[in-house]
Amino acid sequence: MTMQRKRFSPRDYLEENPQARKILRIALVIALIIIGVLSVLAAINIYSWDGFVVKASKSLVNGLALSMLLFLMVSGFFLIFGLCDVINFAHGAFFMLGGFMGFTIYLATEAIFLDPALPFYFIFGANQFAMSVTAFIVSALGATAVMALIGGGIEFFTIRRLYGNPIAQILLTVGFMFIITQIAEIFWGPSQFSYFIIPNSQINYFFISGIFDFGGGLQFAVYRIFLIFLGLAVAGLMFIGFRKTRIGLQIQAGIEDKEMVEALGTDIRKLFTIVFMLGAGLAGLSGAVLVPWIGANSGHGLTYLIYAFVIVVVGGAHYGRFEGTFFGALVVGLSIQITSYFIPFLEDIIVFIIMAIILIIKPGGLTGHA
Amino acid sequence: MKNLLEIQNAHVYIGSFYILQGISIVVPKGEVTLLLGRNGSGKTTTMKTILGIYPPREGKIVFNGEELSNLRTHEIVNKGIGYVPDTRRIFGTLTVEQNLIVSMRKGGLKGDVQERLDFIFDLFPDMKRFYKQRASALSGGQQQMLAVARALMNDNDLLLIDEPTEGLSPLLAKNLINALGQLKEFATILLIEQNFRAVSKLGDNYYIFDGGKIVHEGDNMTELIADKARVAQYLGVSIK
Repeated sequence: MTMQRKRFSPRDYLEENPQARKILRIALVIALIIIGVLSVLAAINIYSWDGFVVKASKSLVNGLALSMLLFLMVSGFFLIFGLCDVINFAHGAFFMLGGFMGFTIYLATEAIFLDPALPFYFIFGANQFAMSVTAFIVSALGATAVMALIGGGIEFFTIRRLYGNPIAQILLTVGFMFIITQIAEIFWGPSQFSYFIIPNSQINYFFISGIFDFGGGLQFAVYRIFLIFLGLAVAGLMFIGFRKTRIGLQIQAGIEDKEMVEALGTDIRKLFTIVFMLGAGLAGLSGAVLVPWIGANSGHGLTYLIYAFVIVVVGGAHYGRFEGTFFGALVVGLSIQITSYFIPFLEDIIVFIIMAIILIIKPGGLTGHA
Repeated sequence: MKNLLEIQNAHVYIGSFYILQGISIVVPKGEVTLLLGRNGSGKTTTMKTILGIYPPREGKIVFNGEELSNLRTHEIVNKGIGYVPDTRRIFGTLTVEQNLIVSMRKGGLKGDVQERLDFIFDLFPDMKRFYKQRASALSGGQQQMLAVARALMNDNDLLLIDEPTEGLSPLLAKNLINALGQLKEFATILLIEQNFRAVSKLGDNYYIFDGGKIVHEGDNMTELIADKARVAQYLGVSIK
């Protein structure tokens, strides 16, 4: 088939795609709100201008980094909810366990690399950077794989029997949340203990530990900037995967109309298991790559589950809009970080305040219907 | 084998509702069989029963000599059944192209798509124009073409087509019925259609449903149309 290719023009594109127009509008609204909030804060902090610039830029960088990772975690939550209609209360626990998996796999990989009896010792030698990068990649992929297997296993052996019975699903996934949290506490202790790579690493080295220093107290941890790009890269991969692979298209179609996908010849139960693996894997991945920043902690399960709910509601993903998770994550990540720098006593409750406001003025969230 | 599909005394419940009360249908190979009757008489449920969405509590469904009763929907469909549902149910968030790719049971993103597309574009030349568009942006007629095209992405022996002309203008409906006439060469068709006069040339056999039972069957559409009392009683259309 030959189709005439037009030259790409952003204006035409926006005119032809109401969807893109809407997304752009929401992005603009969020940007304006952030600028507005920061201006108010600037006015309040006018007498310590230097301090304001530092705090504002730090909160933006940290907020973006957190948002990207929250987006990865919540997109897993959203996929499971969207396709399988299961509200996965164990998702925060998947995230938390992913953190511990990442932490453990990193240290184990490092130990293997440092073992003089094994050939890796000669490959890396004294090159700590290469060793750390490799261990990081292994830990991220390993945590993803382990959590995907656990998630897929839970779906296959338990949830599969309960489709169409939402109450039982909720009870079951809440149960799994407690079980996973308890298991984590048995191994790693209660939530007072956070595990970071740096003091626990045998060589006391992690490949991104430096800071970008722009002078005047304007310092950014390199790792957090790295997280922004990592999050964007994974999100981009996912986006391509959903548009360009058959299974991605099947998942999207299934979120719209499961029965029809099945009536066209797709084994929907297999797709459910795959989506559970994907969702749990994304939770594991985001948990694992956040360890160098926030650490692995058995208390994260509940905290991040609640973030997931807030993100879904704020973004409007409960109306089936995938992009809703992105905007929701952006709002939650940025607001947590901005308040933690400017209004610290609000840090723990700001997301609920925002959720309440959004539920009242726009019950469908940012992207859903009013 | 003369009959491609046989439904033998099927009793179907949806929840606690007793919907199909012992229906038997034979769909001969290479012919168009019509299911007629008022809304709520059990026609769509019959199709969903064939597809295994509402499996029969009693009775048998035999397709190509194989019993389908205990199979799951995707397994049944993979035996060679294409489904065009009522209200179209296209995937609005996907483009037309993506809708068709999702509907292919075998092959990857490229693979055999092209060969199928040539066939579909022959049938619906208009589709070339909106092939890259998002399906939710299509008009009713275009969506219906897409819904039919989805069922043609695979080698299907049997097509289940549910009210294809619903909500279409008379001209579009006529074009669509002509297209279905062309499909007759390639597959056996089981067709639900409210406007039975429009498909009277197409249909080889018909069954009339009422209250979950088959009240009349036959293979002469002209006779049926002439039988004004029966038409008024079961098909609920005014006699002009």
